Amino acid sequence: MTAILSVADVSKAFSGVHAVQGTSFEVEAGSITGLIGPNGSGKSTTIDCISGFQTLDAGRVLLGERDITGQRPAEIAKAGMIRTFQNVRVYDSYSLLDNLLVAGEAFRDLNWFDALARTPRYRRVRDAAEDRARGLIDLVGLTRLSDAPATVLSYGQKKLLAFAAAMMAKPRLIVLDEPVAGVNPTRVNEVADILRKANATGISFLIVEHNVEFINSLCHKVIVLEQGRKLTEGTPAQIRNDPRVLEAYLGIARPAAAEAEAS
Amino acid sequence: MTEPRWTPYAVLVAIALLAALPSMTSSNYVVGIAISGLIFLAAAASLNLVYGYAGQLSFAQLGFWGVGGYCAAIAVVDLGQSFWFGIAFAGVVNLLLSAVIGIVITRTTRHAFVVVTLTFALLAGLIARDWVGVTRGPLGIPGLPPPSLMGFVFDTSARFYYIALAFSLIALAFLYVLKTSRIGLILKAVKQNDPLVESQGIAPGPYKLAAFVIASVITGMAGGIYAFNLKVIDPSFLDFYYMQTFLIIVIIGGAGSFWAVVLAGAAMVVLPEALRFSNELRMVIYGVVLVAVMMFMPRGVSGWLEDRRIAALRKALR
Repeated sequence: MTAILSVADVSKAFSGVHAVQGTSFEVEAGSITGLIGPNGSGKSTTIDCISGFQTLDAGRVLLGERDITGQRPAEIAKAGMIRTFQNVRVYDSYSLLDNLLVAGEAFRDLNWFDALARTPRYRRVRDAAEDRARGLIDLVGLTRLSDAPATVLSYGQKKLLAFAAAMMAKPRLIVLDEPVAGVNPTRVNEVADILRKANATGISFLIVEHNVEFINSLCHKVIVLEQGRKLTEGTPAQIRNDPRVLEAYLGIARPAAAEAEAS
Repeated sequence: MTEPRWTPYAVLVAIALLAALPSMTSSNYVVGIAISGLIFLAAAASLNLVYGYAGQLSFAQLGFWGVGGYCAAIAVVDLGQSFWFGIAFAGVVNLLLSAVIGIVITRTTRHAFVVVTLTFALLAGLIARDWVGVTRGPLGIPGLPPPSLMGFVFDTSARFYYIALAFSLIALAFLYVLKTSRIGLILKAVKQNDPLVESQGIAPGPYKLAAFVIASVITGMAGGIYAFNLKVIDPSFLDFYYMQTFLIIVIIGGAGSFWAVVLAGAAMVVLPEALRFSNELRMVIYGVVLVAVMMFMPRGVSGWLEDRRIAALRKALR
């Protein structure tokens, strides 16, 4: 399997606090990979570093073959990696449709004159983008609200909108920061289904999430961070049974964990 | 916000009324008010582009206004050029000036942006007062001649009015096309959520810079025309009164709404005059109106209307 994302020895410190220290991992092309770890283990900082929202102190990030280390967020997004935010971000005063149109990937080929003069080329792109946007709004089940301003959405609905906007940019890899935190529990399975459908079309995912059930049901591989370092990685089943992971989350003393393993 | 379907008709009626204004009144006073109103409106609409759309509170507009005024005056009086050349000269100088300033300050934080633009405005005022060799200092440049075009001299208020009207309509039409385009969509997205725009593969820098430069060119040309309306330019042209007028129009109307700012511009020109029935209390009532609007509609009239609409929508969805 080839890697869509390779993170090598990435480090980041904030005034002496080592948030991420030499973390390395890969996301295989076409996979759904989970990134878990206790609070403060460096998950968010890792995402910020690979998506260009934080500068790295050391290390390298490759998206496919392309070196994206230290590039600006917009460049990285155009290269094919789109991220969402833990504290969900949408354009509150814009309708759902406009939210998606801003993110539209097809507009990148047009210049400002096209936009100002509404050239035929521009109108073709816009019409196609609008069709695609309506399709994505259907996919996340918000059809009824497509012309309402995003501010009327619930927190969970905004997460769905943010996901649809990420899809709108036609990325190869989507990095989701807590996609189901705050989402109505009855809808978590629907979100998992939507992600599986998107994955089936060839989009790879890296997902940060605390909902273990969600991660286990969805991910091919799970990476565990602890104190800014990679603790381990493996299939969800391997991770579930790894005493070191329990220890990291629950703080069980190592001898006790070793005993449990022995028995 | 969506426009009502009758908007184009309302615009046509308004343009027809404005075009007929000088023939409806013989009062130079009324025409004079209308000239100021039209020019202020173009300047306020361009401030709205920077502040209401790109989300950057720019006090530099006052500086660009002054630079435009002086450039136009100097081009005509010292360089012996025509009024039209002077206005174009004002636009070009502001284009270069705002590009240089803009490249630096559109990268700063919003607070730093406010401070730097304010400093630029104050600096422009200082130069107008103290660089006597060019600006003639506190004495200013009096006796600006009336513009002429192919033998036709715009020497009365009624004639000059059409220059202000044409300029204002062209500027507003251009800003309207810009604001309703995808560029306007992205500018307001930048204002709402800068990191999200970046995460979607759009670098906000060029958009912020374009808004800043376009606004400065329009404001500078407006300043040039206004100087020839006054027929004199001196350091009081950089008085904070002008900046305050542009800001009040934008804030009362509602930053980020094209039509609300246009209507507020008209209202803010008419209101102080309409209050002349009580000359002593005129400015007091004007102040009370402003305070009341700010208390009850902190996001301007358009913000207030939008809040109503969203509240109604929330209720309907419940």
